[in-house]
This record gives sequence, C-alpha cells and structure tokens, in this order.
Amino acid sequence: MSLRIHPVYAVGLILLLALPLVAYSDGMKAVMPSGLAGSSLMHIFILIFFFAFMGQAWNIIGGFAGQLSIGHAAFFGVGAYVSSILYIHLGISPWLGMIAATGFAALVGAGLGMVSFHYGIKGPFFTLVTVAFTEIVRLILLHWEFVGAANGLLLPYEAEPTFWQFQFTGKEPYYYIALAMMLGSILLVSWIARSRFGYYLHAIRQDEDAAEAVGVPTKRAKIQAIALSAGLAGAGGTFYAQYTQYIVPDDLVIGRISVEILLGAVIGGAGTVMGPIIGAFILIPVGEASRLVFESGGAGGSLTTILQSDAGLGEKFALYLQYLGAGGGGGLAIILYGVILMMVVLVMPGGVLPWLRRKFRSARA
Amino acid sequence: MAEKEIPERQGMSLFEATGVTKRFGGLTAVNNVDFHVEEGEIVGLIGPNGAGKTTFFNVISGFMRPNDGDVRFDGKTILGRTPNQICKSGMTRTFQIVKPFPEMTVTDNVLVGAFCRHSRAAAARRKAEEVIDLVGLGAQALKLGSELTVAGRKRVELAKALATEPRLILLDEVMAGLTPTEVSGMIEVLARLRDRGLTMVIVEHVMQVIMNLSDRVYVLHHGVRIAEGSPAEVTSDPAVMEAYLGAGFGVEAAP
Repeated sequence: MSLRIHPVYAVGLILLLALPLVAYSDGMKAVMPSGLAGSSLMHIFILIFFFAFMGQAWNIIGGFAGQLSIGHAAFFGVGAYVSSILYIHLGISPWLGMIAATGFAALVGAGLGMVSFHYGIKGPFFTLVTVAFTEIVRLILLHWEFVGAANGLLLPYEAEPTFWQFQFTGKEPYYYIALAMMLGSILLVSWIARSRFGYYLHAIRQDEDAAEAVGVPTKRAKIQAIALSAGLAGAGGTFYAQYTQYIVPDDLVIGRISVEILLGAVIGGAGTVMGPIIGAFILIPVGEASRLVFESGGAGGSLTTILQSDAGLGEKFALYLQYLGAGGGGGLAIILYGVILMMVVLVMPGGVLPWLRRKFRSARA
Repeated sequence: MAEKEIPERQGMSLFEATGVTKRFGGLTAVNNVDFHVEEGEIVGLIGPNGAGKTTFFNVISGFMRPNDGDVRFDGKTILGRTPNQICKSGMTRTFQIVKPFPEMTVTDNVLVGAFCRHSRAAAARRKAEEVIDLVGLGAQALKLGSELTVAGRKRVELAKALATEPRLILLDEVMAGLTPTEVSGMIEVLARLRDRGLTMVIVEHVMQVIMNLSDRVYVLHHGVRIAEGSPAEVTSDPAVMEAYLGAGFGVEAAP
C-alpha cells in the first residue's frame, strides 16, 4: 500500500471541499429533490463524515484486529459527556475537552481491553462483553444526577459563539470540522496499515496462535488497538455533543448506535483503509433516501382495503406499490434499509471495497 | 551416512527440559521426560501415533504449561512466559496444521515474522525477502496465503518462523502431507539451514528425514522416553521396534 491517492478519491475530495459553496444556491435547489438542498444537504454530509470517522475508529479494533465490538456507543458516549461536563462546569473549551474526551475514552477502552484480553475472552464472548459494557455505561449515566441522569446535558446556548466555544450558527463550520476529522482518521489508519502495528493486527485477526508463535505480542497489540479505537470514538462524541448541543444516555449509549458505527465499516470493507469511508457514503444516503421515500406524505388508502379488494393478484400488487409510493407503511424505510444491507453482505462478502478490488483484479487478469 | 559423534553433555545446554510431565485429567500424556538440545545440533523426536509427541512439543514450545518439570532455553525457564516472549528470546516453532495468514501474500506472511527483530517496515521487508529466497518461495511471493498448495504452505510456515531469526527452531511435522518429491525438496531446505548452523528440533513421521538430518533422536512411547541416541542406534533398539511393530517383532528383528 503506497501513499498514492487514487484519482477517484482526489476528485471526490475536491468536490467535498467545494460543496458548501454551492449547497445553498438556487441551482442546487432546482436539481435536488425537495428538502435536499441547503442545510439539509449539509446535514446529510455532516452525518456521512461523522459516521465515516466513527466507522474508521471502529475499524482499528473491529476491522484490523478482528475483535468485533458492538460497544463503541459507550466510548462515544463517554467522550460526549467528558467534554460537555468540562465545558458546563469548568468552562473549558470543547476543543480541549475533545482532547480530554479522547484520552479518557482511550483509558476506558484500554481498561476494557485489559480485562477482556487478559482473561483470553475472544470472538462472540468479547462481543458480548462490549454489549454488556455499553449497558453498564448507559445505566450509570442514566442514574447519575451530576451528569443530568435521564434528562441528559444541554450545552449552554451562546448567542454569539466564538470559535473556542465550538459552537457555530451555520452548518458550514461543522461540515469542515467533520470533514477534517474524517480525513485525519484516514491518514492515521493508512499509516497504521503500513506499520508493524498494522501487520500485527492483521495477523491477530487471521490467526492469533500463529501470530504469537512468530513474536507478535497479541495481548498488548489488542489493548493498544482498542485504546486507540475507543479514544477516536470519544473524540467523535465531543463533535456530536457540540453539533447537537444536547446529549442524553438513551440516544447515545445504546446498541443501535454501536451497530450504526460498525455497519459502514463492515459494508465498505472492514480492515481496509477506505472501507469505512465508502460504507458511510453508501449507508447514510440510502438511509436518508429510504426515509424520504417512505416516511414523507400521507398514506394512500389502507393495506386491508387493498388486500380485501376483488382485484387479481397482479393488480393487487400494483395497488400495493402505489400504496407504498404514496408513503404507506412508515416502517418500510427500515425494512428496505435492512434488505439492502443483506444484499450487500450476500453479494459482496467482505465488503464493497474488497469486492471492487477482486473485480478489477479479475478484469485485468 | 557416517556416524556422527554425539556431543558429550557439559555445562549448560542451549535447551533443556527436565522431568516434564503433562496430565489431562486422569491421562498422563507425557511422563517425566528429560530432553536437551546443544547449540548447532539437530534433534529428532519420534514415536508412534499417540506417543505424546504433540503434547510434549506444545509444552517445550511454551504453548502448554506442564504439571511438573522445567523447560529452560538459554539458561532461563520459559514457564509462565508467553509464546511471543519466547520467540523474542530466540526460540520459535512451526505448526503441524500450518497456519499461514490466509488474506496476506507470502511476503506479508513472512514480514510479520520479520517484524520480530525489525520494527521498521523497510528493514523487515529486506529480511522477509531474504528468507523467502532461502526456502525457495521467490516465485510465489505475491500469492495469497489461501492460494498456496500444501507444500507452499509448509514452506511459508517455515519461512515465517525463520524470519524471526531464531537460535532454536522447533519443527512440528513439516513433511506431513507432502509427496516424496516435495519431501526431498524440503529436506534440501532443512539441510541448507543445518549448514548455516541453525539448531533444530524435528518432530517427524517420515523416517527418511530423521535418518538424513538428525544428530540425535529421542523416542517417545505412551508418554515415556524409551530411547535416545543416534538414528542408527534408536532404529535398531528392540524397545523402539516393539513400540512401532508390536511385541514379538522387536525380538525377532533384533540383530
């Protein structure tokens, strides 16, 4: 793996840098479907960058080292709370808070890693530990008055925010911060991929005994990986808190968030440098699109009317499609999302990026 | 092949196992076995199926802790140390069921081993390429671990271990599953390593290998050491014949 940047990525980066300049223009409003220009468009991209960054954080322990964590929401939540508490109680800039959040979440990750890996907890059992750990963190936050318990924390609103306060009136600053975080995570992981540490993690994922036999300090490498991974997730927590200005345990520290963090990486290609990025660029738009299609507008007719009508089977199906098209059945957005995920996993085991690489390989051969 | 003189034991051996015993529940797989390897020696370890070779091998390579006894490499006990620490101290092993990293190329597989002594990728890569040539894998360097034949995997297994620059290497049935031609190829590789002065312990079923390469052979049977000596000595030992062929044959076949 060299440092050369694929032209597709280079063009993509230039487009992303320029997007905020045109997002609010009339041209964009004319081209995009209703409600998808301006700040909504910016929001979607911020989400993409954010989940790409989080997926990249997860990728270090979950992808490279192959230790499936479904507990990154815990590190994420810890990070969000650390910087928010420091800001609310001590007035410490969230930028410094982000560093503290990274450090604290890394410590928490290292602690979890030490306990798990010292006792040789592997595979599905490690995954269960991360799930249980998330629940513990959620319950602590939920019952701890000092951090707002179930009400969570509301970051003080600043009418004229300064840069130090990490609050902005428009979406553009958040957009560029999230983009920078994503780019930083790519640089970090591409460096890891070429280093001894990266080879160690790959070796551990593929065969831990064989790695030990040739001198890989498997336990230490795994603890370092989870600490780094958790620290980055903590930094993501600070960003999230500053972007939404409101954090509450039942939104942050839950399994659904853990799954959303890892999905992008798994779909794009876990253990590859660009996999989590590609995954986020696929998943977030698909999620938003399916929501737009199925959750907007009122339902036309009802499902029972269609089913009980005298129409033939083909006709019934057509009516059903009409019903869906008119926005019937709101939960369908999630079902569609799930179907797409299953298709990707079935058609492209290992993720989109490894699949593309195999295609190009066989096309050239 | 000329009889080799068995080195007289004097002072500290490079590798020494004393009174090694390993029990699984009520079964004693290895019972009070003494074993030593001198610098530059090639020691064979043989025995019929179920003799306890693999268990003994796992104990002396640090992958399994004995119930009793001590295992010392370079004067220091390896008990309680992890395999990666043992590898760092200069002793490494291969696996009978080979474990190439399937999603890595041959070069990258060996590179992981080379990182044991070189923290920088460039230096490690040079070492890996040198070892790949030594074991004759040059033509397959860019293949993935999962794309190799059994013979290729066995060589990768050996190359990975060699890349860690060991003083002592423990080889667990590197010939298993190879065709006679492949066996001769592998023997050539091992002979090259012997000429470089590498100390080796070879667990093997293929007697040709033991006879050609070993300076000294240990024979295990039912977890007990029943013979030790030069290849010629142990193969003519009545107790060994009986262990391999059953009671009666040993006496008849004895010269």
